[in-house]
Amino acid sequence: MSAYPSVKTVEEFRQQPEDYQAAVRKIVRSHALNELYGAQVFDEPAIRLAPTPYAKWLTCRVAMEEYHHHVRFKELADQIGVRADEMDARHKRPLNIFEVPLESWEQFCVIKMLGDLAEILQVEDLLHCSFVPLRNIARTTMPEEKFHAQFGLDFCVDLVETEPGRARVQKAVNGFYPEVPKFFGASGSRNNQLYRQFGIKLRSNEEMRADYVARAKSTVEPLGISLPTV
Amino acid sequence: MKEAWFSALGEPLADREKGELAAYLQGLGLNPAMPLRRVSSWPEAGALCSSRSDEWWQAEETERERLERSTKLDPADRDWLDVNSMLHAAAAAAAARAGSEDAALVYVAAGAASYAAYQARLARASGAASGHPFLRKYALYSGGRWPLGMYHGAFAIF
Repeated sequence: MSAYPSVKTVEEFRQQPEDYQAAVRKIVRSHALNELYGAQVFDEPAIRLAPTPYAKWLTCRVAMEEYHHHVRFKELADQIGVRADEMDARHKRPLNIFEVPLESWEQFCVIKMLGDLAEILQVEDLLHCSFVPLRNIARTTMPEEKFHAQFGLDFCVDLVETEPGRARVQKAVNGFYPEVPKFFGASGSRNNQLYRQFGIKLRSNEEMRADYVARAKSTVEPLGISLPTV
Repeated sequence: MKEAWFSALGEPLADREKGELAAYLQGLGLNPAMPLRRVSSWPEAGALCSSRSDEWWQAEETERERLERSTKLDPADRDWLDVNSMLHAAAAAAAARAGSEDAALVYVAAGAASYAAYQARLARASGAASGHPFLRKYALYSGGRWPLGMYHGAFAIF
């Protein structure tokens, strides 16, 4: 439980110290942009790569939910004073994870399975956030994020039923997974220390990264897939 | 006409709907006289659309890409996202009425409706005539149907 008192509304947020406000703005902006990048560079283009109408339509719905997550975070960003230029995807360089070019359906399934697992950890860390409007968005989006990761896992389970399919999934894991641990930020991060001090986040970047690696390993190993050494 | 998404799944097709479907296929350059397959359950719909339907999908995509060359829509528009949430709720309600507990298939149905609604929105924004195939497909969806695509030489509709 956070030692920092709950900040229940945007009006109360405006009464908080500037460092608190800046920390919340940074996190909200990061989530808003990540959701947007994910939808733009992975989910929407994957509709074309999906092999069947079933997979295409499912991907379409997932893409729309990711856009909706972006809008939820962006609306909060607007309310708490994040400047428009800071929210413009054309001016803000995306995280490394979003620069992996999407080339195959197998790769997309791996991105949902392992990339959305990383997003789940990030959102989990906000479930008890001291800023209640942000906590509420985390609680709203969490079931959908879990569904998206399950979507990736379910399709990967189907893909690994054949040896060529398993080889394609392994290749996609080898290409994508090494980028994901960086998604949790630097070790010994000053920002992360502030987030925890203010009760915005619960865990250090190192703890989250270690948890992610363990959960990613337990996700892929039953599929006969291994994680490359990072 | 009042919209009633997913409300007529499994019911016999009216002549008006058959005419709409034939005109839709013709508008895409597909055979308007191809046999129709009436799908009667959610599991049957899910199994059928788990097969490839490349000729039909590509015919739609060719038209979508043509329209998108001149018209761009914002996928993160708030009103549009609210429409998508409504479509998901309609699919979930229809599946529940039919006793289907397949959450992924609800996503599939909602995604299909979203794609159809996007195509119709694109056609309207491009100034397409009322007989445009995307608007005909939208009429089938908003009238309660789920057009599933072409499989084994027949067009399937739930």
